[in-house]
Amino acid sequence: MRTHSRATAWAFLSPWIVTFAVFGLFPFAFSLYASLTDYSPIRAGARFVGLSNYGRALADPTFWSSLATTGIFVVGTIPLTTALALGLALAVQPAFRGRTLFRVGFFVPSVVSVVVLSLVFKGLYASGGPINAVLRALGLPAPDWLLSPRMALPAIMAMDVWSASGYYMIVFLAGLEGIPRDLYEAARIDGASAWVRFARITLPMLKPTLLFVLVVNTVRSLQIFAEVFVMTRGGPLHSTTTVVYYLYEQAFYRFDLGYASAIAYLLFLVTLAIAWIQTRLVRPATEPTR
Amino acid sequence: MRKERSAWRWLWLSPLLATMLFPFAWMMGVSLSRSADATLGSAFSGPWDFSNYATLFGIASVNRYLLNSALVAAVVVASNVATASLVGYVLARRRVPGEKFWTFGIVATLMLPKQVLMIPLYLVLARMQMLDSYGALILPFAVDAFSVFLVRQFVTGVPIELEEAARVDGASDWAVFHRVVLPLLQPVLAVVAIQSFLTNWNSFLFPLIFIDSDRLRTLPVGLALLSQTEHSVDWGFLMAGSTVASLPVLAVFIAFQRRILSGLMAGAEK
Repeated sequence: MRTHSRATAWAFLSPWIVTFAVFGLFPFAFSLYASLTDYSPIRAGARFVGLSNYGRALADPTFWSSLATTGIFVVGTIPLTTALALGLALAVQPAFRGRTLFRVGFFVPSVVSVVVLSLVFKGLYASGGPINAVLRALGLPAPDWLLSPRMALPAIMAMDVWSASGYYMIVFLAGLEGIPRDLYEAARIDGASAWVRFARITLPMLKPTLLFVLVVNTVRSLQIFAEVFVMTRGGPLHSTTTVVYYLYEQAFYRFDLGYASAIAYLLFLVTLAIAWIQTRLVRPATEPTR
Repeated sequence: MRKERSAWRWLWLSPLLATMLFPFAWMMGVSLSRSADATLGSAFSGPWDFSNYATLFGIASVNRYLLNSALVAAVVVASNVATASLVGYVLARRRVPGEKFWTFGIVATLMLPKQVLMIPLYLVLARMQMLDSYGALILPFAVDAFSVFLVRQFVTGVPIELEEAARVDGASDWAVFHRVVLPLLQPVLAVVAIQSFLTNWNSFLFPLIFIDSDRLRTLPVGLALLSQTEHSVDWGFLMAGSTVASLPVLAVFIAFQRRILSGLMAGAEK
């Protein structure tokens, strides 16, 4: 039985149709066109230049180095974030007094603005700041962190691991809750050790969650921008210029929107490709266990 | 035995929790300290007062940023709640031609990294003469794919019989939605409102590129740009600004933590 007329359905749906068309489909298509032109808002008219923006990107060493920087960021942070998040989830899953306190506390960085987190860490990393004070007290070398071309990127990566783990901890908790308890009971009766239970039950059963965490975190990490904008402005010596920061510079400092659109599309393709590969890598192993 | 185990957990989880929360303690400590330095001591060894906050709110633009953030967040949250309930309801009941296509659009928008759209959206807003206006901060975010998705999933689990009964009693389309469906949506709409507030209040990239005038800036953007002016080494000032920018989201999170965490866990299971 119909609970509303077709006209009502269209009327209710219209906000989404309009937004999706105006702020989704159209811009997506329009920027594909822009990437084929030399469009700039400070100059009238745009010339069609074919694929030359893409060719230019592939021949641009700064584009490649920004891609490498982003790659290092992704490869360096994701294993640590995933391991830390899973560890935290395992630690706060069983019932114990004060469990909520830890769950809430670990999640706090996820609700605070990245601008705030970045400003706070800029202060923590300052040459006379708290982190160096502790290092000096321990007799360890105290580097210049964000001012050093070698240490700036690792410093931002460390902050990202700190700030992202709480969120993925909650995602892992959801996955852990979905594992039937009796599997563990049966394993315990069979005399399986804690490690065997983890490796044979928890990990295989968590594979879908693991895949979700990997893909979502990779897609997010490929877009790192605000941290770089606030903490280093891409420096020192371009050592923290990520792809999105580079395309931001090209678009809004050089007003080279055609070129920036081409970079955005290239990043989009890279993102799709990596997400697809991750799905392939994890999936074959999940199927047989089902 | 239970107690012993929980003592163990406390013993090794507490230092971890302290590490996680130390940056926030330091932020608040420095914001209250009278020294401008970013040192360990400046945060935790007084004298403390509110002078950094006085300096902060003494800057006219900062008050404006705060007002803009509150205004934009309020409008976007209200709009997300309203549109997500309408759109999510219709999509769940599958009474509209092309329902599959519209749902696909929602999921695709969810998967697509937002940054891919940053230049396209900028170009479109430029065409519409909407750059550097409240419209640019509100309209592209007025209907949120994630919110629609949450409501759609929720309505799928609501039995349709109630609506049919109301229909038999002669209720109009709007009355069915407004009197029967909407009250049932209250729990999911609360989640929509909370997550939409958190996202919008913290939003940085789009407000940064869409807005040029100082009087239209939101707090995160204003703070980021202030940190790159002569205030760049005034840590007391910057941490006061950071504290002000964090307090609303922290308050919402602490107040609704159960709902936020369980909503997120329910969402992740799907």
